[in-house]
Amino acid sequence: MTETVLETYGLTKYYGGTLALDNMDLKIPRGCICGFVGRNAAGKTTAIKLMLGLLKPTAGSAKLLGCDSQNLTPAIRQRIGYVTEGHHLFHWMSIASLEKFQRAFFPKQWDDRFFSEMIEYFELPKNKKIKHLSHGQRAQVSLALALAPNPELLVMDDPTLGLDTAIRRQFLEGMIQLIMQQGRTVFFSSHILGDVERVSDRIVVIDKGVIRADCSLEQFREAVKKVKLSFSDCPPAQLDIEGLLHCRRSEKELELILIGTDDEKIKQWADSAAAIKYSIVKMNLEDQFIEFTAPPNHKKLFQWEKN
Amino acid sequence: MRFLALLKKELRECLPWLLIAAIAFLVLGGLALRLMIQSGAPFRYPYHFSPGSTVNRYLLRASPLLSTTGVWLFFISIVLGLALGIRQFFIPHFSRTWGFTIHRSINKLTILCAKLFVAAIAFIISLGTVWLLIYWYASLPEILPFLPEPRLFIEGWILIAMGFTVYLGTALAGLSKARWYTTKVFPLAFVLVIIATTVSQWKLSTAFAVMIIGSLILLSQIIHTFLNREF
Repeated sequence: MTETVLETYGLTKYYGGTLALDNMDLKIPRGCICGFVGRNAAGKTTAIKLMLGLLKPTAGSAKLLGCDSQNLTPAIRQRIGYVTEGHHLFHWMSIASLEKFQRAFFPKQWDDRFFSEMIEYFELPKNKKIKHLSHGQRAQVSLALALAPNPELLVMDDPTLGLDTAIRRQFLEGMIQLIMQQGRTVFFSSHILGDVERVSDRIVVIDKGVIRADCSLEQFREAVKKVKLSFSDCPPAQLDIEGLLHCRRSEKELELILIGTDDEKIKQWADSAAAIKYSIVKMNLEDQFIEFTAPPNHKKLFQWEKN
Repeated sequence: MRFLALLKKELRECLPWLLIAAIAFLVLGGLALRLMIQSGAPFRYPYHFSPGSTVNRYLLRASPLLSTTGVWLFFISIVLGLALGIRQFFIPHFSRTWGFTIHRSINKLTILCAKLFVAAIAFIISLGTVWLLIYWYASLPEILPFLPEPRLFIEGWILIAMGFTVYLGTALAGLSKARWYTTKVFPLAFVLVIIATTVSQWKLSTAFAVMIIGSLILLSQIIHTFLNREF
């Protein structure tokens, strides 16, 4: 049986009267690279902070490496790497002094060579102070600090936020170095779908505090479909097709976003609805995500009603 | 090793304030004492006594020294308390480094202990040492017409302890997640009450007791808040 390293049961968080996370159930097995995606204010950071015991849940619980997140012992924390959102480090410290500070908390597992290699790879001078580094460079230091103790579980909160394409690529390559080591689990939030696609084998989609999808990346790619149908007359008013998420209508056309509907059923429905033509539009992950998390009555941006 | 790393980090963050306070008190407190000696103030009675009244030995010998240097000690001690409280408990909130600080292989209480320990040491090293130096100088023969009372030395330490109480109040205010104009400022109001109660005490033992009880109340609240706070 696969060991679960991260699990949540009905994890819920309210900030005053605002619901930030609603009844989140999640199980991440060992060795999984899980991309946790959602729009801004979807609840990603709240979920991660709850998992790490930095926030207290309103209801439910979370377990990391078998230990309740609200009572994570120093020994358990030692096995978990955490990259904070925005890479906020002590500004007055140099990279070398930050390394020394961080090493003290991982006396037996700190990998000096690995840290130095990463810093060298990122072309960062060790004597440079954090306050003199760019956001991207701070992200690189942050990743090196989290990876050098060789953590069993690496939790990252939007690590590539605000980084340019080249730095993001370097960052992901650094992450892949960890992934290549067997048995390491990575749970990272992002809203850059390209990053998720590049490294993840599992995707968890969160929207307005609710988990909307939790499956393998392939399953998600297979499941979300856009179908365009043309009609000789008005499209039907009633859309009784299985897995319909939302639709957009125009005079003689219909655009459907479907979840988990197989191609055969789409064909059958198109025939029964007397569509003169239909096509399944290929979407990239980003389009799929946008369609998947779009509110039911949303219109495309910059598409105004004609008077 | 872990605690030591935290201590070093906290000490480094507080070092500028520690040095500023020590230098400021050394310069201002020392200068005040020097000016007082030059003006001949210690050689005059600080109070007018009517014929036949009992001369209070303490007032006669203590007041000149504390009325000048002591004011600076009080003022600098309060400012140091505010500065250290802000540095250790407000700045991590604004610079968003709490997450990085808290997620480490060490108990939360140890992280807090490192902060409190460094603050206490900062008060002892910066103000305590300079106060000791000034008192020692004032005690040298022929500096003052009479040796300063030992009570004076202890009163100086009470003023330093007041600064530490201000630090505790600021720390609690920094940890509070309430709005600044509501319960967030309550700890500082409580500190004002402690200070007012302490300075109105004549007996040193009572003054100390007020300080200790007030500080313990603040300390217990800080520990409770820190362990249960969301970061």
